[in-house]
Amino acid sequence: MPPAEQPAVEIDHVSYTYPSAGIGTASTPAINDVHFSIPQHTKLGILGPNGGGKSTLIKLILGILKPTAGTIRVFGHTPAQARRKGLIGYLPQRIEADRDWPISVHQTIALIRSSRLKPWQKLSAQDHAAIDHAIKLVELTDLIDRPIGSLSGGQLQRVMIARAIAGNPKLLVLDEPTVGVDIAGQQRFGKLIDTLHKELDLTVVVVSHDMRAIAAVADRVACLSRTLHFHDTPEGLTPAVLAQVFAHDVAGVFGDIHIDAHLADDCDDPDHAHQHQHDCGCSSQSDQPNSSGGDA
Amino acid sequence: MNQLAPAIIAALVISIMGGALSIFVVLKRLAFIGQGISHAAFGGVGIALILGVNGASTPGAIGQLSIVVAFSILAALWIAALSRSHKGRTDTAIGVVLSASMALGFVLFTIAESRHDHDDHGHAAHGHEDEHHIIEEILFGNILNTDWTKASIAIAVSIALLAITWLLRRKLIFWAFDEPVIDAYGHNSNRLTNIFLSTLAIAIVMSMQIAGVVLAAAMLVLPGAAALNITAKLKPAFISAILIATVGAALGMLIGFQADLPIGPAIVLTQSIVYLITLIIKTIAIRS
Repeated sequence: MPPAEQPAVEIDHVSYTYPSAGIGTASTPAINDVHFSIPQHTKLGILGPNGGGKSTLIKLILGILKPTAGTIRVFGHTPAQARRKGLIGYLPQRIEADRDWPISVHQTIALIRSSRLKPWQKLSAQDHAAIDHAIKLVELTDLIDRPIGSLSGGQLQRVMIARAIAGNPKLLVLDEPTVGVDIAGQQRFGKLIDTLHKELDLTVVVVSHDMRAIAAVADRVACLSRTLHFHDTPEGLTPAVLAQVFAHDVAGVFGDIHIDAHLADDCDDPDHAHQHQHDCGCSSQSDQPNSSGGDA
Repeated sequence: MNQLAPAIIAALVISIMGGALSIFVVLKRLAFIGQGISHAAFGGVGIALILGVNGASTPGAIGQLSIVVAFSILAALWIAALSRSHKGRTDTAIGVVLSASMALGFVLFTIAESRHDHDDHGHAAHGHEDEHHIIEEILFGNILNTDWTKASIAIAVSIALLAITWLLRRKLIFWAFDEPVIDAYGHNSNRLTNIFLSTLAIAIVMSMQIAGVVLAAAMLVLPGAAALNITAKLKPAFISAILIATVGAALGMLIGFQADLPIGPAIVLTQSIVYLITLIIKTIAIRS
């Protein structure tokens, strides 16, 4: 057996409680004892209801928040180290960049590298190659000189993806990337991420409350509602709904969807070219996948 | 050499610095914070007065400047901290800091004034006139007060601020453009915010020597706003802002000296007119 590859992300019994918001407000943990690891080269979807701790988990992986308990490792480093080494690319939920800015598509993407230079340095040939490659991958070559204010929402999102990958990250974190996007748009987005995943050998983590958004991008799914194992079913997200949505809308397009209770599950058999539909573990306390999908 | 030379050179150098910073102020939408900081500086002036530090002598001038700079930086960082803890309610934070500092400044000023009355009982009337003159100077600036000492300090500090901004330019651009994501890319948004706001605070205190508490912030907004009316590219925007600031200051001084007008307001008025012209150019360009 080959030596086990280091996981992209190891989350070891992590909890996070926000500081009390004010007098009379109790602090409940935003996430509680989350324990899993994300193998390299996977595309993991983390599905959870609003308020389920998805954004908190992202901030913890990015090292913007520090766990109140437990530890996180990103490619063996602390998240802060990983960020500084440029190992993480991040696409925020809302693009808050100011579109009135007098800045071109190329300048926006180059920022990721130029902002890391010493003041007297210029972008190297290697920097330019990485930036050009990112621009090519997201198909923005024709738009590089356009001011970002003239772009459509979808084009701007591609600029931000290019910015994320131009830093040569090994992990790409997508926070609710396709909110308000129609199914066709979600699927185009999924194809783009798939291309990047293959070309750049990325590990992808996508977080969303929208099952279709997850399905369009991810090849495995974990469910998060404060903790990674649901003990009670969150509102509206019953296993039946989940199974139905995946079976009807997605199965035909994305043949290989694993819906796993948690990533430690042994569901990553490369021969699984078929539908895999145990009930996501979202209401399961068992470590074993239920065999409702018919392949177990 | 012409006795106005230190004032003119200081004003031009401060304007170049103000022009460069103004692009960040406009793009990062810090114009109102600038107003908050400059009015907060009034509190610093009050503290300097109550401590008996006045700008008549060279050490006094340096002491007063240091106190005002320190107070303005504290006000700027306080605004930043309040905005963070109130989830971006920057306007509330500025409202609080601005009013509190102005009130503090005025109270301290009045106390210092009454002390002064007690000290020089025989010259009370003359003293009052002096105090009112000083208040006017603080509020609207008095560039004619600038001797070579003050000018040298202003020039050195302005060059230092320009250097800091140049050294951090790329990080500042990323920060000003898309602050919410820069932490994810290994930068420290809070630190950059604090550095830039401190730079801005010092820049405003420098501009106060020309334009006073009320108008100083304008010198850190108008050139950038005007430049961004006529160009949609970053580098030309910086160059235009510096040019507009310098030409505006030069023209303002020329008109002010010729027509015997207060120089600070004349400069701000000239820069405002340049801004209006660029706005008209922009409007015409959009329509055609």
